[in-house]
Amino acid sequence: MSSETSRMKFMCDSSRCIQCFACSVACAEAHDLPVGISRRKVVTLHEGVEGKEVSVSIACMHCSDPPCAKVCPVDCFYIREDGIVLHDKKKCIGCGYCLYACPFGAPQFPRDGAFGMRGVMDKCTMCAGGPEKTNSAEERRFYGQNRIAEGKVPICAAVCATNALLVGDAEDVSAIYRKRTSSRGKGE
Amino acid sequence: MTNHFGDVVGHSKAILIIGANPAVANPIGMKHFLQAKDRNNTQLIVVDPIYTKTAAKADYYLRIRTGTDVAFIYGLLHLIFKNGWEDKEFIKKRVYGMDKVKEEAAKWTPEVVSDVTGIPTDQIVQTATLLAETKPATVVWALGITQHSTGTSNTRILPIMQLALGNMGKKGGGCNIIRGHDNVQGATDMCCLADSLPGYYGLSEGSWKYFAKSWGVDFDWLQSRFASPEWMNKKGFSLAKWWQGVLQEEQTYSSSPIRALWVQGNGLTSMSQTAKIQEALNKLDLLVIAEPFLNEAAVLTNRKDNLYVLPVATQFETEGSVTATNRSSQWRSKVIDPLYECKTDHDVMFEFAKKFGFYDQYTRAMKMDVKEGELVDVKKDFVWPDDAVSEIARTLKTIGLGGWTPERLRKQQENWYMFDPVTLAGAGPMKGQYYGLPWPSWDKKHPGSPVLYDVDVPVNDGGMGFRNRFGLEHDGVNLLAAPSVTVKGSTIKGGYPEITRENIEEVLGSKLTDAEKQKIGSNWKTDISGIIQEKCRAAGVAPYGNARARTIVWEFPDPVPLHREPIHSSRPDLVSKYPTYPDQKNNFRVDVKFISEQQAREWVKEFPTMLVTMRVVNLSGAGMLERSSKYLSHLTPEMFANIHPDLAFKYGIRDGDMMWLHSPQGTKIKVKAQHNQSVTPDRICLPYNFAGVMQGVDLSPNYPEGTKPYTTGESSNTITNYGFDVITQIPEYNAGLCRIEKA
Amino acid sequence: MKTIIVFIITILMLTSMAYAAESMIWGNMLIGNILSYGTKDSLNMGPLFTILQSQYFRNIFLVIVIGVPAVFLMHYLVLGARFFSHDGKKVYVFSLFNRLIHLLAAISFLVLIPTGLMMIFGVYFGGGPLVMTARHLHGLATALFFLAVIPMFFFWVADMLPTVDDIKWIAIFGGYLSRKQSEVPAGKFNAGQKMWFWIATLGGIVMIATGAAMYFQDFNLGIASAFGLSQIDLLRASAIVHNIMALLITALFITHVYMSLFAVKGAINSMITGYKEEQELKYLHSSFYRKLKAQNKI
Repeated sequence: MSSETSRMKFMCDSSRCIQCFACSVACAEAHDLPVGISRRKVVTLHEGVEGKEVSVSIACMHCSDPPCAKVCPVDCFYIREDGIVLHDKKKCIGCGYCLYACPFGAPQFPRDGAFGMRGVMDKCTMCAGGPEKTNSAEERRFYGQNRIAEGKVPICAAVCATNALLVGDAEDVSAIYRKRTSSRGKGE
Repeated sequence: MTNHFGDVVGHSKAILIIGANPAVANPIGMKHFLQAKDRNNTQLIVVDPIYTKTAAKADYYLRIRTGTDVAFIYGLLHLIFKNGWEDKEFIKKRVYGMDKVKEEAAKWTPEVVSDVTGIPTDQIVQTATLLAETKPATVVWALGITQHSTGTSNTRILPIMQLALGNMGKKGGGCNIIRGHDNVQGATDMCCLADSLPGYYGLSEGSWKYFAKSWGVDFDWLQSRFASPEWMNKKGFSLAKWWQGVLQEEQTYSSSPIRALWVQGNGLTSMSQTAKIQEALNKLDLLVIAEPFLNEAAVLTNRKDNLYVLPVATQFETEGSVTATNRSSQWRSKVIDPLYECKTDHDVMFEFAKKFGFYDQYTRAMKMDVKEGELVDVKKDFVWPDDAVSEIARTLKTIGLGGWTPERLRKQQENWYMFDPVTLAGAGPMKGQYYGLPWPSWDKKHPGSPVLYDVDVPVNDGGMGFRNRFGLEHDGVNLLAAPSVTVKGSTIKGGYPEITRENIEEVLGSKLTDAEKQKIGSNWKTDISGIIQEKCRAAGVAPYGNARARTIVWEFPDPVPLHREPIHSSRPDLVSKYPTYPDQKNNFRVDVKFISEQQAREWVKEFPTMLVTMRVVNLSGAGMLERSSKYLSHLTPEMFANIHPDLAFKYGIRDGDMMWLHSPQGTKIKVKAQHNQSVTPDRICLPYNFAGVMQGVDLSPNYPEGTKPYTTGESSNTITNYGFDVITQIPEYNAGLCRIEKA
Repeated sequence: MKTIIVFIITILMLTSMAYAAESMIWGNMLIGNILSYGTKDSLNMGPLFTILQSQYFRNIFLVIVIGVPAVFLMHYLVLGARFFSHDGKKVYVFSLFNRLIHLLAAISFLVLIPTGLMMIFGVYFGGGPLVMTARHLHGLATALFFLAVIPMFFFWVADMLPTVDDIKWIAIFGGYLSRKQSEVPAGKFNAGQKMWFWIATLGGIVMIATGAAMYFQDFNLGIASAFGLSQIDLLRASAIVHNIMALLITALFITHVYMSLFAVKGAINSMITGYKEEQELKYLHSSFYRKLKAQNKI
């Protein structure tokens, strides 16, 4: 966890995800998001089709080489030492390019102002706030809670009913997942 | 639950989930089934009329026709007996009446079962084989099993199968019934019911006398509170049919119509026959509603007067113990003081008692305790909730709550991290206790019983045999466990009866002193002195006996469970073969129609589509609480019905179109059609969590200012069909018919 | 004018309200979008956009906004401007309606191009409210341009159709590479103006369409499926097309400005007064001049 190469990652085990929306709702509640904006979404494929239905929870994956940061015309993205990809809402101009570049559809744009124009981008912060002073009122207003600074797990993973959603250092997460899948079907 | 979630994770090799959708109704419970799959390659079998979120995680999914669970289980039993897969030793030593079950099962060949249930024969054979070969296996169910006109038979046939397979009293086996809401098990244990005193004591005079003594009040005084003494021992109206007490359309048996209704902590709009409930609410003289969120019963009625809404505190504003689905208790602390002018539930009840002049009697037992074998006053004032919990612990002996003292529960709460989630066993200072002290926790030293009926564990460590509940013999057969079934560590070999004042010396082989003889109660259930419990502990004996489980309930209309077609059956050809019960006289003070309703018409001709109800994950109960949350209500912005595209297009209904659903009772609701493959074209499925619209009429104007939730909608219960269980009178929510019409 | 402004604002409000519904990009399409990102069977729009935007667009724009004016500066210094007598006769060539529409288009371009460049080089402006405002002005100016482009297209399209003169004009580069005052073959509009016209109108409409797609983002008009694209891929394609087209338009806009303000002194007057110098017509639009003469319109 403390190694220099440690990178924080999310991982959703679709064999565990039951589409309960706890992650999505807890996230919206924790960060006081506008209704309809979900930093984390739960999507079900082949809903109701026997043997095919799969659900998965998706948000910003905090990529190692994030395309959003590459295409941003105002360079509002920055990557923390632990790999969490954050952005500065004071720099963002709401152009939408990050959404086009993102493979996961993570960036979204709450409407803003009197004409309902598209505002600045909002996305999952892995509960790590933003560039403002940690745990300041301003950080809270723009980015929601900074649970990481308080030593807490991101709220989505904390509330996951079935432990489908894993978060933490990439190696730890993959170790947990590997253990799960390797014992699956063995009956050890 | 006979076992617990951790036990399923640790030991179950197969899980049969029938009539339950934990992925939606109990996601935390669902985690354990998924963990079992991951850790032990546990096979998950899901039986449901709908391809649910739980089914989506199953290894085997069986689509059953609604209301045919008994037939399905007989199909499994048929194959189990035919192939000799039953646990013969277990049945011989610990079960009574299995031969009668075997006789009935002989009729249910896979072909017959397939015809009745709609499940293909190969899936029936596959499931039976799997359950026979994979042990231990556990059975999980919930309201999909209980909420039927045959609910009692359903809940009996499943444990019977577990007995036949020898899965009872085993780690990883048992019957694990999931309670959907917080503290439902606790409410059940307290018997918030019309037919029993707390702790399943029933309404007999002996029970009343025991409670009078335990509450420190005079029995005659208690009796004088009733209109006449006979009512004391008669069941009240049930939640399912209380409205008949008001409307009196069917024959009722009561000293007076119901004139006032006090609703506290109950989603009245989530009960069936909402249209009747509406009529009854309008006709009452007085309606009081006491809830944290507005109960939509207040909106359902159009009454302008004599309707009072009292604000009651939430769970976060009060303190006490709650009981989890696996019979374990947890202490819960108060987070904040009650907000604004609301009061906690108990304060509301205390105020009520004061106004009616019985506050002293009401609270007296909290100031008492057992000293030297006798219940005496010990203090001037009581401490809430500790003294209430102590009162419960010392009074409710039937289910062994003796160990649930507030001190122990608080200590467990503080040290919860010292318990193992799979075994529930504590470590360090908590060593020798199971988490939550799952009942029976006979006395203050008992660790709790994580797995019921396990004779391989000493009684004082949580083991026991089956309860000696139904006498010593029936039809000349000894109902006690066979001589070879000795509970580990017990001084008594083989089965033994429940312990009473009369038999204690003989059964335990010890002499009572004269002082003890004076103080001892008549039996273990009413022994306030605790002497019986003390002697039993010394002998390693469960005070309730060590007997056989019975598969025949000779007092019931069906001594052995029988398949009976739903009252509104989709298969009229099967109705004559498997008719429902005769009409019932006076159950819970009201007559109930069975056969007359079933045969009134060939319902399926006019109402060709099966009606199934379901829960949605973001809403619970009547849904008022969750629909008041902007984020939760956003997930299901309006009431809908899942309908197969093939069925929908038959009526020209596109995805998102509105449609009317008509019920045999003449009621109708207007809901949005949501095309969905989880239902087959012969059935539709509705969530039951909406209210605020009634048969097309928007009730928005009835909401007091600021109380209207973000979403309202038709209640599915407006069209759930008439039908009630023959014993418990639980409504038939899950097997009915309807007619679809494009709106 | 007031009515027009109110009209524009109303349209903007209505459209943004209509599109404020939750986007399908984050709904049912999400999984499909994720799974198809950068796969072999996909159009590879995501990675393509990422590479173009991160490595090429900004640099090419830099070349254009510095390079094109630099070339013209050289031209100006080496060959100088052209002068035509302002004392001679004037010919009425642009009606008041022509001029007003052109003015509208001119104003919108004067907003669109700088604000567009501000977004492209947003990082040097520090992003934030300033560039955000530029983005909104860009959208607002588009509405103005939308009002101008349609009439403009129709009243000039006939004169803008290619003729033999255009080939000759291109062959001698419009005579701009020599100091000699000779008659250049051209109708009412020369080949260079025609090129600008087509790019500005048809290209402009493409810019409006792609820009609107990106601006509204959550539209759901079956547009994407009509193109056989997913909505997110349509947005990506829009961004790519918008940027490439913008390069062209920016380059030609600079040219247009240079020609009308510097290369031909006083040329802009015709768009202000409606009159062109007879001399200017005679040399730079010789065919048109002869035609007018023949019709006795001069």
